[in-house]
Amino acid sequence: MITIENIHKTYQIGPLSMEILKGVNLTVEKGEFLSIVGTSGCGKSTLMNILGLLDIASSGAYFLDGKEVSDLSDHQHSETRNKKIGFAFQHFYLLSRLTALDNVGLPLIYRGMSERERRQRSAEMLKKVGMDHRQHHKPTELSGGEQQRVAIARAFVGKPSIILADEPTGALDTRVGQEIMNLFLQLNEEEGVTIIIITHDPGIARQCKRAVRMHDGLLREEL
Amino acid sequence: MIVKANIKEATRSLIGAKQRTLLALIGIFVGIGSVIAMVSIGTIVQEEALRQFKEMGTDILTINKGYGGRGPDGTQRKSGTITLEIAENIPRYCPEIIAVAPYTSTYGTFKYEGKKWQGPAMGVTGSFIDLNKLKLKKGRFVSDLDEQTYFCVIGNKVEEKLRSFGITTMVGTEMFFQNKLFTIIGVIDDTPAGGMRPYEINEGIMIPIALVRRFEQGGEIQNIIARMKPEGGHVAASRQITDYFQKAVKGLAVRVRSAEEIINQMQKQMRLFTLLLGAIGSISLIVGGVGVMNVMLVSVAERKKEIGIRRALGAQRGDIQIQFIIESILLCMVGGLLGIGLGIGASYGISIFSKWHFAVSYDAILLGVIVSAVVGIFFGFYPARQAARLNPIEALRSE
Repeated sequence: MITIENIHKTYQIGPLSMEILKGVNLTVEKGEFLSIVGTSGCGKSTLMNILGLLDIASSGAYFLDGKEVSDLSDHQHSETRNKKIGFAFQHFYLLSRLTALDNVGLPLIYRGMSERERRQRSAEMLKKVGMDHRQHHKPTELSGGEQQRVAIARAFVGKPSIILADEPTGALDTRVGQEIMNLFLQLNEEEGVTIIIITHDPGIARQCKRAVRMHDGLLREEL
Repeated sequence: MIVKANIKEATRSLIGAKQRTLLALIGIFVGIGSVIAMVSIGTIVQEEALRQFKEMGTDILTINKGYGGRGPDGTQRKSGTITLEIAENIPRYCPEIIAVAPYTSTYGTFKYEGKKWQGPAMGVTGSFIDLNKLKLKKGRFVSDLDEQTYFCVIGNKVEEKLRSFGITTMVGTEMFFQNKLFTIIGVIDDTPAGGMRPYEINEGIMIPIALVRRFEQGGEIQNIIARMKPEGGHVAASRQITDYFQKAVKGLAVRVRSAEEIINQMQKQMRLFTLLLGAIGSISLIVGGVGVMNVMLVSVAERKKEIGIRRALGAQRGDIQIQFIIESILLCMVGGLLGIGLGIGASYGISIFSKWHFAVSYDAILLGVIVSAVVGIFFGFYPARQAARLNPIEALRSE
């Protein structure tokens, strides 16, 4: 479960200070499938970075699974990202030197897990996303949709409590994008993981159980 | 676990960037190679120099008659004469000494069938060959029974000279020294220079010491080689000899040097010498290390996105730092191992060329391994810290 209260984020660019988030409030229940929509530059990505503990809010409170996390150390943030948060990105961000299997196992390395266990869990996860036949392929040998499936497997492999997906279908055509969306829906059902998708595509947003719109640094529920 | 994964990753990444890796490897290869070569050569030269002393034995002393001047008490030194009898009596009055070989040195003109050249001649006793550990190639050495007979034993270089004149049988051949006709009775094998041996052995001839009084100059005993009794102490031996000469030749001060003392001194100097060589070699190692740092910085810059991804997936700063340091250490260790090969190869080549005894210095190998790891850590630290300090968001956004 996520609760953020009155989140502000201000960037200082030279003498100018730009307020990107102007007091955002949001509560996401466990197992929810939420989309955040909005035009580019409205602060969606900034919010996602804050939710993903990659960035720190200028002010406000952030409770992740009931625990205030915004003023933890960098070390604790990394640990929380590793254990509780899974990321999916628009451009997949797989490491090109590694096979699909090793890419999926990457978050588990930082838990100090043995190679055997990593491989086993990664293989299971690849199977769930329908990629077990591509285990030993490198990202460059995979299509965009396949790469996103591998990236999703990587996001889920550590059994996080939330998945943050930033425009996960943005680089894919409509048909493949829909397949990826179906995969998210399926995993949300099966694993019961909270999923937050950031998108500017109303078609994607419509399929989520809940959608919020970001406009000018503020959030409001979509009906 | 993470270390194992990191080593695997580092290998993959280094192989991935072949050209860069190769260039950095060459730098470290040459750097470690030159340190190893320098240290090995230092050690070999040291062994070589000591070998000449040890060959003669550490129980050897040399006694030199001083050249006048002032003594320790400021009075004019008396330049008395050391007679053969005084010299040969040393063992009787100095219990630490068991054998002596006094000798005289002179320089003059050799002549054979109208051909002339300059060279040294030494007046020696029969004990000379033994104390100097000389090897007889042909004939016999000078004997004390030769008394004033015009016999000579020739050194290796003199033999070569005579051979070039077409002489095949040395023993029995006659030649002139200072217009006096000598019969060759023996030939001494090539004798390595250095140690406490007189330097004239190869270039000159050795004649019975009783003969030298017939020459106008150079007939005086200036040097004596002495051997101590087994397990003898060189300090006591030196004191006995000095005391003996004070009494035997009215206040004559002689200088006594022992092989042991000189070896100790040399070892001290050689250690410094090896250190100096190692320091010179280290300069190229530093250059190589800077090359590694450069390659690592480029590697970090090129892999910002990867660093961002890893950070997003939960890598700690420390994980990133260790990943790059391991990569740097791996690079240096591979370069270092190749460099050890280069260094040993180079020192082997140089010792063959200089006719030294080659020996692999295990210290040098150990040094190579340790130094390359240290270089890897040292020059990898800064780039790795840069990588670890990257802001994850900026790193993810970079191309």
